Parts: sequence; structure tokens; C-alpha cells
Amino acid sequence: MPRKPNNSRQTRTLLAAFLDRSQSWRHGYDLSKETGLRSGTLYPLLMRLSEQGLLEHRWQEAERPGLPPRHVYRLTASGLALAREQELDAVAAERAGALA
Amino acid sequence: MNGAAGPWRRLAVTLARHAARTLPAARSPWAEAMRRELDYIADDGAALRWALGCVVASYRAGLAHRLSVSGRAVGRTLATGGVLMLVIGVMLEENAGGQTQPPRPAFDATTCDPPDRSAENHPTPRCDALSVPGADGIAPRCGCPLAPTSPDTARGR
Repeated sequence: MPRKPNNSRQTRTLLAAFLDRSQSWRHGYDLSKETGLRSGTLYPLLMRLSEQGLLEHRWQEAERPGLPPRHVYRLTASGLALAREQELDAVAAERAGALA
Repeated sequence: MNGAAGPWRRLAVTLARHAARTLPAARSPWAEAMRRELDYIADDGAALRWALGCVVASYRAGLAHRLSVSGRAVGRTLATGGVLMLVIGVMLEENAGGQTQPPRPAFDATTCDPPDRSAENHPTPRCDALSVPGADGIAPRCGCPLAPTSPDTARGR
């Protein structure tokens, strides 16, 4: 049976973190702290989701002077749909596990 | 921030720059994004861990890029070779004209010349009769095995 794309534990964790604050732009380091993903895992995931059109990114000016602009990320509409679908799947799997 | 940076911070910056150089050019904004995050990480140890992760991420992205490029090149070569083989096969089939076996040389066992001697340079001798003065019978002009031998020739005259 072929494996579903974007269904790894790391990707699901990242999508869940985006879904918690779906309208906010998120920074890489904040996402790393929140999800526990190291930068070596986080950035390849961000690049792949962006290539698939599930994530949008832009440069944000620094709030404090002397610091460089920062790359920020947010799920697109299709990314949000995927994150919600995976959240529903996780809830259904939890319920099935509780009933068994 | 980097002016009074400690050794771990300087190492982190060096690693992040190396990661930025390693990433394919198409992903340079991502390399810059990873590198700039360093300036927002206050702890030097955390910055070093972050930079090491950047190196890992850039190596993974670079390897995936190289594999996809070399995979496409191998695919193109195989496709070209396959098309060439197909064309050659079709041309051979057309030239064969439905012949399924190679032609065999015709060999007449009754001729006197061996089959590898050409007809222009070595005319095939005929196994006809030749009159020999003083002989009673006829003698063959050549060593044709089917030709009759006279009694005189057999005696060595």
C-alpha cells in the first residue's frame, strides 16, 4: 500500500503547530522550539511544504533595529485543509484506539 | 552582535555560512533564512546547535538536488539509447526482406575446382574427353573423380 504524502510524524507535528495559530506568521526558530524539531529536520519540511503549495513565506522586517529581516511562514488554504484533515484523522485514530 | 561574539558563536556563524553556500542556488532564500535566524538566538549553545542543523539541512537538500539532476541525465541517456536501438532494429528488419536465415553458399560437388576459387581467374575445367595420341582410350584433363581412367594412365605411362 503506498504511503500517504506528508504523513510523517514530523510533518504532522509541524502542521499541527501551524494550525494552532493558523493566521499568524511564524518564525523558524519559534517553530523549532514549539515542535521540538531541529533545524536540520524543520527546514527541509518547510521547503517541501512550500514547493507543494501548502506553505507561503515572506520576509518580515525586524521589530528591533540592528537585526536583519526574518523569514516567516504561514499555511496556505490547501495547507490548512490538509492540516485539518490530518487533525481529524488523528482524532478518529485516538477514538478507535480507545474503543478497541 | 558578532563583534564581541564568543568562539561558539563564531563557529555557529561559520557553519551557517557554509550551509548557505552548500544549498543549491534555487534555494538561496532558504539558506539566508536559516542563517538570519542565528541573530535571533541569544544562547551561543543553541545557536551552534541551530547552525549544525542548518548544515544537515543544506547537505540533505544538496544531495536531493544532485540525485534528481543525475537521475534525469541517466533517464535521458537510456531513452536516447532505446530509441536508437529501435531505429536500428526497424532498419535491419526492412533490409532483411522477410528472410529468416542467412543465405548459404551454393556448392556443386561435381566441379573440379574448390569453391573458394573464382570463375574469372580460374576457369572451371571441364571433365570432357581428351584424345591422347597412342592411347587406346580416353584420358581425363583433370583429376575429376567421376572421370574414367584409362588403363595406360593407371600403369604410369
